[in-house]
Amino acid sequence: MRSGIEKKKARWGWFFVLPAIAYFSIFSFYPIANAFHTSLYRWNLLSLNPPRFVWFENYLRLFQSEVFWNSVKATAIFTVGTFVSLLIGSLALSILIFSRKRFRSFFQMALYSPAVLSTVVAATIWLLILDPRGLGNTWMNALMGTSGKDYQWFANPDMSRISTILIYFWKYIGHFTILFIAGLSSIPNTILEAATIDGAGSWKKYWRITFPLLKPTVVLVCVLSLIQCMKSFSTQYLFVQSGAPKAPIDVLTLNIYNTAIRDHQIGRASAISVILFLTLILFSWAQLKLGRSEEVSFQ
Amino acid sequence: MKLKGLFFVGILLICSIFAASTIELTVWTHEDPNRTLLEDRYIEEFQKLHPEVSIKRVTYPSAKIRETVLTAFSAGKGPDIFNMEVQDEYPYIVNQRVAPVNPIAMGYKNVEEIYDAYLEGTLNPVSYQGKLYGVPLEITNWCIFVNKRYTNALGMDFDNNYPKTWEALMEIADQLTVRNGEIITRRGFDFRYPYYLTFFIPMVEQLGGYLLNEDGTEAIINEKAWIDVLTFMKEWGPSGRNLGSPTYTAARKNWNKDDGSIVMCESGLYQILRLKSENPDLFHSDDWMIIPWPTFENAVNPVKGNYYGHYYMVNAQSSSEKQEWAWKLIAYMLQHTNEYFEQVGLIQPTYELMDSAVFKEFPFANVFMNDMSQAGCVLLHQAGPRLEELIREAVESVMLSGVSPENAVKTLKSKATEVLEDY
Amino acid sequence: MSRTDYPWKRTARSLRGIIFDVILLMILIVVLVPLVFMISASFMESKEVLTMPYRWIPSAFHWENYAQAIQGNDQKYYYARNIFNSLLVAITVTLSNCLFAAMTGFGLAKYRFFGRKIVLLLVMATMMIPFETIMIPLYMLVNNFGWQDSYMGLIMPFLVNAFGIFMMRQYLLTFPEDLLDAARIDGLNELAIFIRVVIPNSIPAMTALGILTFRSQWDSMLWPLLITQSEEMKTIPLYIVKFTTEKYTNEGALMAAAVIASIPLFIVFFSLAKYFIQSSSVFSGSKG
Repeated sequence: MRSGIEKKKARWGWFFVLPAIAYFSIFSFYPIANAFHTSLYRWNLLSLNPPRFVWFENYLRLFQSEVFWNSVKATAIFTVGTFVSLLIGSLALSILIFSRKRFRSFFQMALYSPAVLSTVVAATIWLLILDPRGLGNTWMNALMGTSGKDYQWFANPDMSRISTILIYFWKYIGHFTILFIAGLSSIPNTILEAATIDGAGSWKKYWRITFPLLKPTVVLVCVLSLIQCMKSFSTQYLFVQSGAPKAPIDVLTLNIYNTAIRDHQIGRASAISVILFLTLILFSWAQLKLGRSEEVSFQ
Repeated sequence: MKLKGLFFVGILLICSIFAASTIELTVWTHEDPNRTLLEDRYIEEFQKLHPEVSIKRVTYPSAKIRETVLTAFSAGKGPDIFNMEVQDEYPYIVNQRVAPVNPIAMGYKNVEEIYDAYLEGTLNPVSYQGKLYGVPLEITNWCIFVNKRYTNALGMDFDNNYPKTWEALMEIADQLTVRNGEIITRRGFDFRYPYYLTFFIPMVEQLGGYLLNEDGTEAIINEKAWIDVLTFMKEWGPSGRNLGSPTYTAARKNWNKDDGSIVMCESGLYQILRLKSENPDLFHSDDWMIIPWPTFENAVNPVKGNYYGHYYMVNAQSSSEKQEWAWKLIAYMLQHTNEYFEQVGLIQPTYELMDSAVFKEFPFANVFMNDMSQAGCVLLHQAGPRLEELIREAVESVMLSGVSPENAVKTLKSKATEVLEDY
Repeated sequence: MSRTDYPWKRTARSLRGIIFDVILLMILIVVLVPLVFMISASFMESKEVLTMPYRWIPSAFHWENYAQAIQGNDQKYYYARNIFNSLLVAITVTLSNCLFAAMTGFGLAKYRFFGRKIVLLLVMATMMIPFETIMIPLYMLVNNFGWQDSYMGLIMPFLVNAFGIFMMRQYLLTFPEDLLDAARIDGLNELAIFIRVVIPNSIPAMTALGILTFRSQWDSMLWPLLITQSEEMKTIPLYIVKFTTEKYTNEGALMAAAVIASIPLFIVFFSLAKYFIQSSSVFSGSKG
């Protein structure tokens, strides 16, 4: 039987959590439920006729559709590429920056600067850089010692995938580095000092103390960056708009957008969203489970 | 206390009665600073003439207006008047979301009079099952813009002898192209990717091919024509003679700058006015010209590049009173065809405009009109955007990914047939 | 003297330091290229912006780009109002997000109550639907409340954000229990503990969240596109997109508008950065 204090604490827990739940019920759960509901219909957005209830036919047709599976593949490739590079990159950079004694703010600021550019502007600039006559080719040619070679940043399927990963990495590296630095900041210096006095070398310090205490932050970055990468949309959209072939970078979100806005098939688009949603929940739950032992605290 | 309350309610009631008696119209259109200036003025005049109407004009980026109108309509909150590219407007007609034209409100005796006022065929895109659903805000077709500074430099004399076929254009473009290794630093000419429905389909039609058959059940008719045009595109691209590709900056964007990166491009008459304001030096010189859209040497059907346009339409769900006022407003604005042309560069295909002095004296207007008389409208079909995507995939796979034209056509045909099954 | 102070180890460490600095610098250069591009392009004529090969230093400083950016293509000076809108919306959403995220994250991290795991999953679930799918039901909802083309419509759908909640929960998991217990012993109730103990000690995390939220709102385009109609209510990204329309592109002025738009973000970052690049942690107060 729960003790009185525990029950009281439990009620406080609900108190803190309730406003958010109430808010989400209106602004998130309702639209999500709506999406689930819509996915069971064959529904043309503009048609005045009532939508047709088709059970799970949308899902069946998706699983048989080549375009859908191509989207899954494109999403998988993009996600793995960005996720891995973002995770490792931001962790490494945050440690690098945090261990500098000088210029910490400058480095952080500079790393975060891509985020300061509006997405529209960043897209315009990158399009110019990756234009066949642009800086991208110029520098690659200089780097690789070739001359006049067009690296086909948009045209070649593999290169266009690399380009989208590159741009995405550039855009979000600062974002996740900040999260790690915030996590590193909350590790008390006293513990690290104590370890140094006890004779631990830097590597040992990192392994035994910093990383375990950083674990919740690592989980945070993993979950957030995975979700972020799988929901990526504007990078691919802008690429396709400026001439890149769609197939290699037709990620699920782009597919959803096209199915809804271009084809007016909102039922089918909702079905793809539901699939994406369930996949994300699955991955996140898995990550949370893997990252257990959350009750690490300072003693 | 109660008296105060009653007083308030009374005031509210009176206000709401007044409010109800004002008709509020919303107009949604795409951004265009010059046209906004013009239409804001017309709206102000209209509101002075009719104080019982209040009008709100909203603009959206042209790349985004498709989403906003779609979202609004699907939420049942669409604007009273709007315009988009006609390919995007077509589903609204088919789904009966827009109302048929009201000729009396517009000042015509009947619908036939409206048809008579506009150039033959230009109202076809918005005619459906015997009714007319919109009136043109602008119609555009493309011809070839030539920057003679570069052709003259190579000794070519376009004034007396310009390329009339695609094959000739390819040769001339090759002579004009400058490269650094694989990278093209100056293109002689490049196509207007990704508007394949506008420029690619007519090329296929010139060789006798069609996108759809008569009743729209079959796709990709006369495969040989398709293969031939795809072969031409393949030769144009990086794996052929490397004259251009979809991945370079759009030709029309750089043409006005006269910076040596592009000599010829496909564009509409509106670009001439932009040239005037962006590069008056070039505009006032004799160093540029417009030539008609080329045809293939062995063309069986000499059609020109398709035209497309924007039409003003009225929401079918608005109250009939609002609809009537909407048509009145549209007629009021569009009566100023000359000002739309002079100040914004938009062609409204009315006989009034065609016959006016300002149009006749406009440089190269006759080239555009000539071509337009031999052109059809861009494809209007609910699956239009999807089909355009498939054609785009086919062209890009042939130009950029090394797929053979035969295979590309096979894939295109099977995918297009699949798409048609949905309708 | 501890083992770590042999001379050769010292040089090795400083050498390693220099190498790391160089790597960092290289990464930074790549990262900064587009930013430098934007600033230099904002002073160029549009002809020059698209010229390849690219000139890093503009041939002349065309300040009129900035004038055009502020004036707008229609000479109506909407930019100032748009900036104000973006500021108002971004600041409100940021403050509200931080508050609710901290509160909810705290509840989820430090309290055991029935249904805790489900609530966490529900919160996370809201992060996972792409916006494009819910935009139509959300649009209808907001319209039904009568909030179209208004600040309410711009702010309300973003008042509470699941990312923030999740983030604060992770950070607060390692919040020292003894600080909380000490406060409880002092007789404070939970809400007071939250306000007087948790918030002051979570500044690094909240600042990080604040910066990320502010930036995300600042850059948000799809929702303001749908919900605003009059020019007065539009936000900065919509204004910038206006400059890229088909017919009147002036890339120089576009970049100028973008530079102006980035200034508030820089200010926010500069002023808040010191709050979470602290070298000494606030937790050290709990020792002894």
